[in-house]
Amino acid sequence: MEIQSMTELIEACQREQKTIGEIMLMMEAEKSGKDEETIIHMMEERLIKMKEAVDSGTADASAAPSGISGGDAVKMSNYISQGKALSGSYIGDAMTFSMATSESNARMGVIVATPTAGAAGILPGVLFSLHKNDGYAYKDLVMGLFTASMLGYVIANRSFISGAAGGCQAEVGSATAMAAGTIVELKGGTPAQAVNATALAMKSLLGLVCDPVAGLVEVPCIKRNVIGTSIAFSAADLSLAGVESRIPCDEVIEAMYRVGKEMPRTLKETALGGLATTETGKRVKDQLSCRKKNL
Amino acid sequence: MEFQSCFDIIGPIMVGPSSSHTAGVVSIGKFIHEWIGGCPEKADIVFYDSFAETYQGHGTDKALLGGLLGMDTDDSRIKHSLEWAKESGMQYEFDFEDSCIQFDHPNTTIVTAKRGGCTVKVGGASIGGGLSKIFMINDEMVDIRLSTDEDLAALVKQYHQELTINQK
Repeated sequence: MEIQSMTELIEACQREQKTIGEIMLMMEAEKSGKDEETIIHMMEERLIKMKEAVDSGTADASAAPSGISGGDAVKMSNYISQGKALSGSYIGDAMTFSMATSESNARMGVIVATPTAGAAGILPGVLFSLHKNDGYAYKDLVMGLFTASMLGYVIANRSFISGAAGGCQAEVGSATAMAAGTIVELKGGTPAQAVNATALAMKSLLGLVCDPVAGLVEVPCIKRNVIGTSIAFSAADLSLAGVESRIPCDEVIEAMYRVGKEMPRTLKETALGGLATTETGKRVKDQLSCRKKNL
Repeated sequence: MEFQSCFDIIGPIMVGPSSSHTAGVVSIGKFIHEWIGGCPEKADIVFYDSFAETYQGHGTDKALLGGLLGMDTDDSRIKHSLEWAKESGMQYEFDFEDSCIQFDHPNTTIVTAKRGGCTVKVGGASIGGGLSKIFMINDEMVDIRLSTDEDLAALVKQYHQELTINQK
């Protein structure tokens, strides 16, 4: 079996009477020759690494080697635990866990690329928030990772998933879109609703440029991961309410591809435009390169 | 279809911060480690282009030394590999150049490593998503694709034989 589009995916789910996650698992077993139990175990290993990054990041207030990030996950965690977050506990916890993961990444901690290191915070943020607030067991979260990877698989093969190739819309945009569909499937939505949430989330990040200050995966990447979790929850809620994307998901992905192709090189991870070339962005870059020369 | 597996999307498990500037570079170092059969006594490393510009913030230097020391992509000791290198008596030197004439890619390095009587010069490029490529061994152009969950020892053994036969 091979899935090349979201339309094919929804058809396969209907034909096989399976969820999106189950289709991914079936396809992986078929392609790799491994049994499903082994594949589930491999995915579980990744989930556990994600949890370790969340835990170490939430407890660590130290700065990244660059000195331009670090310590914000602890702030968020303290704030959320007071129960006063405007966005509630689902999004509040997701933001904290996402921040923790992306800060761990900046500190050279161990993370799981989902689908890249730069967008590694969004899925763990959303999944471990559902674990904490809704009591989803690890085995459910593992199935959620199969859902996410199926959605990401289609996006990656039809468009792109790296900032260097297609801008941040391809990186944080894809991860957020994958997370939105995953929330819907975990909450019992249909495959069509999950794909619809994927479209809604991706549409709201279309055109987002990749403009990392000093070329580092820190500013603005970490906070884009954090805010990506809230977009994922909003898109999931819209879809579960029955609100439909007027543009079908496959066409949204195609639009993302075209926008990425038309995006100038200065806005695709080269640190030659956007926030990277603001007054402050340039100053940070100069300070870091002075440090390099003084080594 | 470039992506073939759910683990191409969820994975690799790696030390941050960048799949191209960190994870892929560990594999290049590890390839050299396997090629010379252990930690080099001496390594001369040239970073080109984007690696030369941003190696410090991405820990590209630590990633490469970690690989040379035999560490895997998800080894949390990579963060401290400069200290580990000292401890294992490995001498190293970094040089920085604008662009690499042998291979046109922004994320490129050439490493000359020495262990016992064996010296090897290896060119590697990290091409994204944790994937990398060895493009040169001892001035001979090659094309060896490395992924983070590759059995590098087996891969090295295969190419070692091929190149030795070619050189005869």
